[in-house]
Amino acid sequence: MQNKGFTRSVNTAVTIAALLFLYPFFLVVINTFKGYKEVVTNVLSWPGEWVWDNYAMVWSLIQYPKLFTNTLLLTLASVAGIVLFGAMAGYKLSRTKTRLSTFLFFLTIAPMMLPFQSFMVPLTKLAKELHLINHLPGLTLVYWGLGCPMAVFLFHGFVKSIPMELEECASMDGCSSYRIFFNIIFPVMLPVVSTVIILNVMWIWNDFLLPLIMLNGKEATLQLASYKFFGQYKSEWNYALTAVVMVTLPPIIFFLFMQKFIIKGMVAGAVKG
Amino acid sequence: MTTASKRWRELGVFITFVAPVLVLILLSAEIPFIMSLYYSLTKWNGISKHITFIGLQNFKELFLTDTDALASFFFTLRYSVATIVATNVIALLLAVVLTKTFKLTSILRAAFFVPYIVSLVIIGFIWKFVFSNAFSSLYEWTHWPLFQWSWLGTADLAFISVVFVSVWQSVGFYMMIYITGLQSIPGELNEAAAIDGANGFNRFFRITLPLLMPSLTVALFLSISNSLKVFDIIFTLTFGGPGKTTTSSTMDIYNEAFVNNRFGYATAKSLMFVVLILLITLIQVKFFKSKEVEA
Repeated sequence: MQNKGFTRSVNTAVTIAALLFLYPFFLVVINTFKGYKEVVTNVLSWPGEWVWDNYAMVWSLIQYPKLFTNTLLLTLASVAGIVLFGAMAGYKLSRTKTRLSTFLFFLTIAPMMLPFQSFMVPLTKLAKELHLINHLPGLTLVYWGLGCPMAVFLFHGFVKSIPMELEECASMDGCSSYRIFFNIIFPVMLPVVSTVIILNVMWIWNDFLLPLIMLNGKEATLQLASYKFFGQYKSEWNYALTAVVMVTLPPIIFFLFMQKFIIKGMVAGAVKG
Repeated sequence: MTTASKRWRELGVFITFVAPVLVLILLSAEIPFIMSLYYSLTKWNGISKHITFIGLQNFKELFLTDTDALASFFFTLRYSVATIVATNVIALLLAVVLTKTFKLTSILRAAFFVPYIVSLVIIGFIWKFVFSNAFSSLYEWTHWPLFQWSWLGTADLAFISVVFVSVWQSVGFYMMIYITGLQSIPGELNEAAAIDGANGFNRFFRITLPLLMPSLTVALFLSISNSLKVFDIIFTLTFGGPGKTTTSSTMDIYNEAFVNNRFGYATAKSLMFVVLILLITLIQVKFFKSKEVEA
């Protein structure tokens, strides 16, 4: 049948397209195993002689362990706060049916409409006055504020679908409001929790502009440090490309293990958000 | 327990649940935004304590004399249109092919998605390497003139490069949105139409596409707001150059504030930019919501 042949050629075409699509990554990786001279003269081929020094050099040049820990702690602390505060507020605002809580809900989600660029300049000024710049805890606090509107929005919507009886029973059994939230509601909200975690991990781990304007020199994230590193080692591609691999590998490994969750979470966040 | 004390307790609970978020959001978004309304009316270099109130002077300068702002805004528009069209068309094509089941489907989906999880700064850098070093080697190997062109050095080609890299980076994500949409369309509809004699082309444009409108609305909304705000990728790939030909509005604002140290003027620019973004998104959502149909 002509149809079958057509399907097969489409499949072949899309497979070839995918290989070409990933070719830049392949080029980057093979060139991290070459010496300086070979990267310049011979980009496309396999390394004539496999060189491992680049990794050791970059490891110490950018202080990789420290940067990795910085970025990881920053991401974890930021996301934990966004999930906790966002879930609490989203839950309470959704369950309280007063005019005040409706108003507060809109006040909370309003920043979703504001592009970051419209307030980033005064934000740095305010952060400076409150001594929140140049260190990671301050940056974490700002990420909490920037991540919460979307989180509250997602939790608020989800809580509507949780039956009230669940809380009423627990409340009659003498359960406090805090215990109801942490022991009963929070576990039910896990699907949204995972969406919120994934969206924010990807955003904060990869974010560049906010660290760029909030951190000066001393403390740095992987993205920020690698940007400076590229500037410094502009012509030494063997080091620069190795830095690319070392910065990119953690999220890619994370992605390969959590593929299903990540794609589902990101698309769900996009569709609801 | 008396009702009055119960009320107070409920209020206490409400405050502990809601107050942290309110304080955080006011602090990192809403107060800064209100501050920027004020700073847009001042002359201020961002560092000194000296802030001069100058009324609408900044906006006057912006509208009457600032050619950079206008040029960067037109670049942002051209870039957005090109990126949005290319991304969505390619994403939709890939989604249609990759919802049909064959052995490699899930691996291929992942392959197209991978660039989306890499940070834009790194993406810009990878492509800088490809355009400069890898292309010259490819030229030696193939002798195709296109590998010898200066992809980041001339205005027209730099524009194409920036668009190309942006599409490459985000197409997988939009493909996933369309795949999710396609999977929710009941198969019987297409089967029924096939029995009635509709060909593949008609089935796609008359059945699949109208039912896909919700996904299309979401994908367009996201790609519009993301492409209007483009920053990181240009920052590392071309740094706005050659000249200022690939300077986007966001980068223009950044330069004005942090390079030229004109904070007051930069906030005025950013406010105008926000108004334009909101207008564009509003029109788009209104337009596409009216086109959605039910299965």
